[in-house]
Order: sequence, then structure tokens, then C-alpha cells
Amino acid sequence: MQASDTIVAVSTPPGRGGIGIVRLSGRQALDLARKLLCKEDFAPEPNRVSLHVLRDPETGEELDRALVTYFQAPRSFTGEDVIEFSCHGSPVLLLQIVDALLRLGARAAEPGEFTLRALANGKLNLSQAEAIRDLIEARTAAAARQAARQLGGELSATLQPLKDALLELIVPLESSLEFVEDDLPDLEIERLSARLSDLVRRMDELAATFRAGRLLKDGLKATLVGRPNVGKSSIFNALLKQDRAIVTDLPGTTRDALSEMINLEGIPVLLTDTAGVRDSADAIERMGIERTRRAIADADLLLVVVDGSEPLTAEDRELILEVAQSRHLMVANKCDLAGFSLGRLRETVANGAEIIAVSARTGQGLEDLRRAVLRSCSAPESATDSLLLTNARHYDLLRRASDALATAQRLLQERASEELVLVGLYDALRYLGEITGETTPEEILTQIFSTFCIGK
Amino acid sequence: MRFSGFDENFDVIVIGAGHAGCEAASAAARMGAQTALVTLSLDTIGQMSCNPAVGGIAKGHLVREIDALGGIMGRVIDRTGIQFRLLNRSRGPAVRAPRAQADRSLYRAEMRRTLEATPNLHLRQGLVIDLIVEDGKVRGVELQDTRRFHAKAVVVATGTFLNGLIHTGKRTYTAGRAGEPASIELAESLKRLGFPVGRLKTGTPPRLDGRTIDWSVFEPQPADERPVPFSFATESIDQPQVTCYIGYTNERVHQTIRANIHESPLYSGQIKGVGPRYCPSIEDKVVKFPDKNRHQLFLEPEGYDTYEVYLNGFSTSMPAELQQELVHQVKGLEEARIIRPGYAIEYDFVDPRELTPFLETTRLRGLFFAGQINGTTGYEEAACQGLIAGINAALFVRGEPLFRLHREESYIGVLIDDLIHYGVDEPYRMFTSRSENRLALRYDTADARLAPHGRRLGLLGDEDWERFNRRRERLAKLRAVIEGTRFKRSDAVHAELSLRLNQNLGDAISLAQLAQRPNVHPELIYELLPAETRAQTSLSDLETVLADIIYSGYIDAQRATNERIHQHDYLRIPPDFNYRAISGLSREMVERLERARPETFGQARRVPGMTHGALATLLVHLKLRRAA
Repeated sequence: MQASDTIVAVSTPPGRGGIGIVRLSGRQALDLARKLLCKEDFAPEPNRVSLHVLRDPETGEELDRALVTYFQAPRSFTGEDVIEFSCHGSPVLLLQIVDALLRLGARAAEPGEFTLRALANGKLNLSQAEAIRDLIEARTAAAARQAARQLGGELSATLQPLKDALLELIVPLESSLEFVEDDLPDLEIERLSARLSDLVRRMDELAATFRAGRLLKDGLKATLVGRPNVGKSSIFNALLKQDRAIVTDLPGTTRDALSEMINLEGIPVLLTDTAGVRDSADAIERMGIERTRRAIADADLLLVVVDGSEPLTAEDRELILEVAQSRHLMVANKCDLAGFSLGRLRETVANGAEIIAVSARTGQGLEDLRRAVLRSCSAPESATDSLLLTNARHYDLLRRASDALATAQRLLQERASEELVLVGLYDALRYLGEITGETTPEEILTQIFSTFCIGK
Repeated sequence: MRFSGFDENFDVIVIGAGHAGCEAASAAARMGAQTALVTLSLDTIGQMSCNPAVGGIAKGHLVREIDALGGIMGRVIDRTGIQFRLLNRSRGPAVRAPRAQADRSLYRAEMRRTLEATPNLHLRQGLVIDLIVEDGKVRGVELQDTRRFHAKAVVVATGTFLNGLIHTGKRTYTAGRAGEPASIELAESLKRLGFPVGRLKTGTPPRLDGRTIDWSVFEPQPADERPVPFSFATESIDQPQVTCYIGYTNERVHQTIRANIHESPLYSGQIKGVGPRYCPSIEDKVVKFPDKNRHQLFLEPEGYDTYEVYLNGFSTSMPAELQQELVHQVKGLEEARIIRPGYAIEYDFVDPRELTPFLETTRLRGLFFAGQINGTTGYEEAACQGLIAGINAALFVRGEPLFRLHREESYIGVLIDDLIHYGVDEPYRMFTSRSENRLALRYDTADARLAPHGRRLGLLGDEDWERFNRRRERLAKLRAVIEGTRFKRSDAVHAELSLRLNQNLGDAISLAQLAQRPNVHPELIYELLPAETRAQTSLSDLETVLADIIYSGYIDAQRATNERIHQHDYLRIPPDFNYRAISGLSREMVERLERARPETFGQARRVPGMTHGALATLLVHLKLRRAA
């Protein structure tokens, strides 16, 4: 089953790259490729790469030499016939190739249209479709890896054992209601209840990865605050120099002159410098204070920068008081200077906050700062190793599922009738199903019939 | 060229007088349509081909719903049941359901009497061999004896007769039921008309001579002391009740089955049709559950005046002599003689995805299908479809809008909705778990849910309607009392209850709140009712009211979950929505949507044959459109 028209688009990000890929999907993909290659007998083996000359269909002029791969329906990303042309990465050249295909009868794909077709052809479930969006928007390699794992169905695969365990609870309860006349084993309430507890614990554990997972996806907003001339901008630039994020020019990233995305061991960190806000005239200064306040409110983490080579000023103390309720780190700059004393600082601050000694000038202590930032967002050491929940919808559904199960367990303990206990179990199953795909009553019946000998 | 002047004209013709056909004919006739019920044999009207019993979990619910709508099955079984039991009595009211063993021959007689007493209903004996079709509409039927009956609407309720093929061991022969001819020409006629036909299978156990059974070996299963009737119209069940008996197979039986499994047409590859998993043959049970060293059997008397006994749980298509040997190996049946051997039967069914929610075919206007032809199994499943088909045949004749039930309000709605959307891979049987709304679809609320429909359709007479209204008022008053009766800490009853339940009851507690506490049974609430109310209240009324109260919180919560999960159902689809413009929708999906013209996403979700992918795509586009 294929849609009527064939769509085309450059499917690598805009900009100059080593290679660029033009993707063609639809019933006529192969036909159009033949015309672009000027080879009527072009009959590629699916999933094999071959080198071909692409020519302008009207002039016959050579456009490029490209690696051509044919993915045969339904075994392709979209579920339709797909041809991918891996061309040289010049934007102009790629547009010429797309243009040639448009002239041959293809249609320019709408944003996300390949994914939509994949969805329509049942190649993706909703959680995988969401993962594709995340993958496209991924800001760091670690986040991209997470999205790729989800795309590979790892989230579904992680949830599947939970769903199976849930089904194992539903089956005896449902059978005892539905097949009252059959010779079934007695329900073991205590055992069911213990298994229910175990299930709730496993769901909660997975839900707990959400904070770390969200950080991977959305990143951490860390904001440098401090009075002028303590060296915020220097620290900002020093961190930036080493850790500039892989991808920074994506649409939708909030960026002004003072913010930059950096990559701390896979965690995207949006670093904001509130520098220079005091350097202007009064009216603007007031605006600047407003902005700083807002930046403080928005941040996940504040880096309070002080000059460690001098005693704290009244302004410093005021700031330290102001941030007391927010998640923050103390950064004592200028540790390379003679007057620097961490001890003196500790005495004056005396709130037990962690103080990291750095020198933006020499780079000393920056490593400690990075580690402290990572620690503060409690990213697990191996953030990239285990599957993390990155999607708020998934988190919400898991929490709801876990709550539903807790209710079911209470009813089970109270020896409530099975149909009431089952309400919570089915709710949980449906919440999980929202992530991984529905479990139909038919599947539950199948499970019942394969577990018990039912029927007179 | 017609040389027979023996034509007759009706409004509605029903083919087949089984459980679906009887309901269909009765409903259509009572709605004023001149209705012919055509059957192969007037002596087997309402025949129970298999188990002589009606009801059970979910099936009992269906009978209650049939009765609430004004159908006849509940009344007939109430008059002819010989062992009534309310199943799941110890569990919540939503999963309780009545079941009754029937006197097979009395049931037939009572059904025929009921039909014969129905005005506008005409019984005709004959074999229908073809449908008369003109301009894409059904116009009547042609009989084997050259008679032609004309009508505007036809209900096909042919059961296992369509191309029926019986298997006993290696022996096969065409038959609709043991000893009755199959309907071959009509099956061919449906195929010719383009209906997609598949094959299903069902089976039945041997019947024994009760005089040759050693009853002392078996465990008696008595009837309920207070039989709960099926029909809301039945005041009480007064006929004598009989006892059934429970026994077991043993390893020896299983060994014999295993040693002779090649004799079973199920395992020799002779049977192609798919059978129901919840009604497995004894061969299936032994093969699929090798670790189980015994399987339960029920010995069910077939009636008051017969010694024939139905060996429930022993459905088999083994050769007759082997069946006799197997029976002899069961403890207590060493001397038992088989009167009729068990058999398997394969028959044609039509893919029910061809049907509308009204059970009308999409291929031919005025043609309705009900019962096993739609891939279901069970008398109750058949009867409820017959009722809906009969109602709609009558409405069709009048040119009025057809009638459907929704899955939120009834098991009948669930059944039809499942059939027309998902089709069947095996004979479809009702289970309470098929409904998302189980707690609200109780057997004791069928009247509240459906009686108003029955009244509007003209199937519920004045007497029934008044009874319904009296019950409704009684329940409302009782509920007010239960919610209004409170015990304060200063009351003696409060202290006594706290002690008895070992629970903290707070400063004051109403009867309604008390009923929701763990371990509080209806009997306790009954005791606590004000004396005046108690004198006017039956325990069954009280149970209904308490169930309403206890379940209401769950039902609300479940509704919230359903709404959350189906939150897009109310998304409107504009009438001019262009499905062809949606990239990625296959032509097939576009055609289905264009034919159905759903008004909301929820309706689109239920358009037959829609894939998940297509729906996800549609949803994304509807949302994009709204955002734009």
C-alpha cells in the first residue's frame, strides 16, 4: 500500500558538509531514479550501494557522481520504495538534484512528511516517532544516542517486561472472574500482592531516570552571576573554548549574545553570562537588574562568581543571600593571584556551600568546575549507558501507571472483589500502552487461554 | 418465466429459526412488519444444538439486555429452565450473571408457542436456496420447492447450516446439525453475490443414557435456593429444579486420547476451520495442557422427562467407537452408553467487517445478517444479533432511521462493534473483559440502560414499561434513604458497628459511606435500614442500589481515564475534509474514510479496517489544521 505521490527532500542538515543525502520516497521512486540516472534498465538490488552519474533530465549534463541506495517497500524507513542519493555536500548541488527530481514529477516533501509516512505505514509506533523528532533536535551526541535508542524501540523493549508482568497479574484475576465454572487454581492473593509491589518499584525506578533524561534532552540552564569584574565573562569564554557543543545553530534554541550551548560529557548545558549589565546608564541598568533576576529565576543552576583574591564586598554578600534558595555553586575566580584565599572565603560565606577555586586566565580548576556542574544536576556517572526517560509525556504516563497499580494493590490487600482490583491494573496497562502500543482485550484472552485450560 | 403461482408477499423474511432467527422474527413482527420465519423444520424451532443451557458470565448479561430491549429469550428460559444459578455470587455485582440449564424440548416448545402467539408472524417450512436481488437491493428469497417469498428486508440467520460439514473420526458428511441437511445452495448464492466467506468450526460432546451412569461417584451441584430469573418480567421461578453433577477425566483417558490422536480430524488436518479456544475439544485440552492430570466434566440432564445426559467438557470429534471407549474410562461412566456421539462441524461465515452497526450488509440494502453467519458462537450472542437485525429490518421497511447500540451502554453494542471493526479469527464469544466499561454494564442495570430504547421501538408493552418505571422509582427512593441515613458517634449503633467491623467510622457515617467500607456486605446494610424501608425492600433492589453507590467512584475514574486516553475523540472532522490531500494515507484508507464520512476522530477510529498508522496520520493532520 503506497501513497499516490512520490516526495523528495534533502535529508541532511542545511550547510556545507562532506556529503548530502537526497531522499526520494513513493511508488515512483525507482522510476524517477532511472530517469535521473538516464538508465532505463536501472534495477538495483535492495539495500546495496552503487555508484552512478546523476544527470540533468533535460540537458543530459552531469550533475554529480553519487552513491545510490534502493530500499524496497515495505522494508524502508517510510514503508514505501525509497531511493537515497548520497551526493557531494554542496547546498547548491543538492538543490539542483532536488530540482531535477521535481521536474521529473516528484513533490517537495513537507517538514516531517517522511516520518508521517513511516507512521502511516505502521513502520513506527508513536514513541518511535517522538524519538525521531528528538533525534533531529538532539543537541549533543549523548542526547542523540538516547533518541536513537528510543527509535530502536529500546523504550518499548524496556517497558515490555513491565507490561508482561502486568499481564501475568491480570490473567489469573480475570480468569477467576470470567471462567468461574472452570477448574482453575485458587488465587494466591499474597503472592499477587508481592508481585504488584515489585512492579510498582520497577516503574518508579524507570520514572526516576526522568530528571537525568530530561537534562540530556533539554539540557541544563546554568547562569553565571556576580558583580562586575569578578571574571564571569572570562569563565564563560574559558568553558566555551573547550566545550562548545557539537551543534549550536539549530532553530528554536534560545540564543542571545550572552548565551551559548556547551557540552559537558554529553549533557547539553545552556551557559548564560549576565555580564555587563551594570555597565550602562541608569535606565538600562534597571532593565539589566530585571534581566539578571529573570535569569536567576529561569536557571537550573547558578554559578555565583566572586573574586577570591579580595575580601567579599557588600554587593557579593547581597547576591549570596539572594541565591540562597536556588540551586547554586560558588565559584572563586583568580586563584592564580597572590591574594587568593579559599579559607577566608569559607569563613565569610559560612553557609556550607561548595566553593570551587578556578582561574579563568590559566584554566586552573576549570575541570573541577565542570565536574561540580555535572554533580549538581545529579546526572548519573554513566548518563549515556542506561536508558533514561527523556519525554515528559512518558514520565507522566509512567507515574500514572504506578499510581493506578498502588491503588490496585490496596484493594487487593482489602480483599476487594477482582473486578475492582482489575480497574487499576487495566488503567496501568493502558497508560503503558500509550507509550508502547495498545494491549487489546484479545491479547489478554490469548494469554488466558495459553495459561489455563479453559472451557467446558 | 415463472410457472409457480405460489408466491407470497411479506415485509420481512427471516431465514432460520434458531436463537437469532426467533428473536429477529419476533421483534420485526411485534414492530408491525408482516414477517415470515422460514425454517427447514418447524420441529426444531429454538433448538439448542449444543449445551442445553442459557447464560453464564457475560452471556447472562446479554440475555438481560435482550430482555430489557423487549426480546424473548429471557422469558422463554425462565419458563423452561430446570437449574438456575447466579454465577460469581461472592464477587461484585458487575461480574455476577445468571445461568440456567434448560429442558431442551420444553424450550423448543415454549419458543414455538411464543412465536405462534405473535401477531404478524408467519411460520414457513422450506429450504431457501437463493436471494432475489434487484438493483442492489434484496427483494425476497427463493425456496427449493420453487416457492418465492417477496419482502423488502431479509434477515439471514442460518447458524451452522451454511455449507455445514460434520466430522466424526475420518467420516465426514454435509449436514447443518446431526441428522439435518446443510444449506449448500444459499452458501453458493452468497459467494456469488461477492460476500467474503470464511470457515469456522465448532463441536459438541456425546450424550449419555442417564440410566447407565453411576451417579454416586459424582459431586452434586444443586440449583440456587432462590433462583434469579433472566427476565425483568419474571416474578419468580416456580418449576422444580434439578441437580447437575461434576466429575473428572483421568490419566488413563488422556493416554488413550494421546495414543489415538491421529484419529481426531482436528489433528489429522482434516478440519480446516478454526474452532473456539474457550470451547476446546477434549483432544485439545489433553494435547495443549499435558501437565494437567484431570479435566473437569459436568453431567447435565437434558430435561425432566428424558434420561439423556449432556457430557459437558467432553466435546470431541473422535470416531464413535473410540468415544465410547473414552467415556468408559471415566470414573463413574464405566457402564455408560452413548446415545448420540459427539462431533465437530465446519460451516461458512461471512466476514462481519462487511456489516454496518445495524447488522445490515454494505453490499445489499435490506439484507441483514445475524448469528453464526457473522462469526459468533453461542445462543445468547446469536439472539442479541437477531434482535438488532429484526428491529432494523422492520425500521428499514418503514423507511425510518436504523437502530444501533453503543459499546458504552451495552454488551450488545460491544459485540457488534467488535465484529464490524475487527472481524473474527475464531468463533467470537462474549466476555466481560471485552468491555472497557464493565463496571457500568451490570446484569441488574440492563433495564435502566436499555428499556427506554425498547419502549421507543415499540417492543416494550405498557405492562413492562410500568414495571420498569416502578422499579426505577423504588431504587431512587431507596438510594435517597441509604444516602440520608446517618449514624453519629453518639448513636449506640455507631459504637456497635465500630466494634463489629474493627474500623474507625469517624464522627458520623451514612449507610452509603458504610457500604463502601471493606467487609461490609449488603446483608449488614439491610439490617441497618429503617424498619419501614426494610419492609418494602428486596435484597436484590438493595444490591442494585449499593452497587450503584460502590461503583460510582470507579466508574467516574474510569471515564476520566477513557477520556484522557481517547481525548482526541471529540476532535471534529470538517465535512469538506479532503482525505486525498493527506500524504501517506493509502487509497484503501482514503476510500474507507470517504465512505464512512466520520464527523469526529472518535468515529474515524471506529471506521472498519482503519490501521493505527492511518489514524495517527489523520490525527496529526487534524491537529495541524486546528493549529493553523
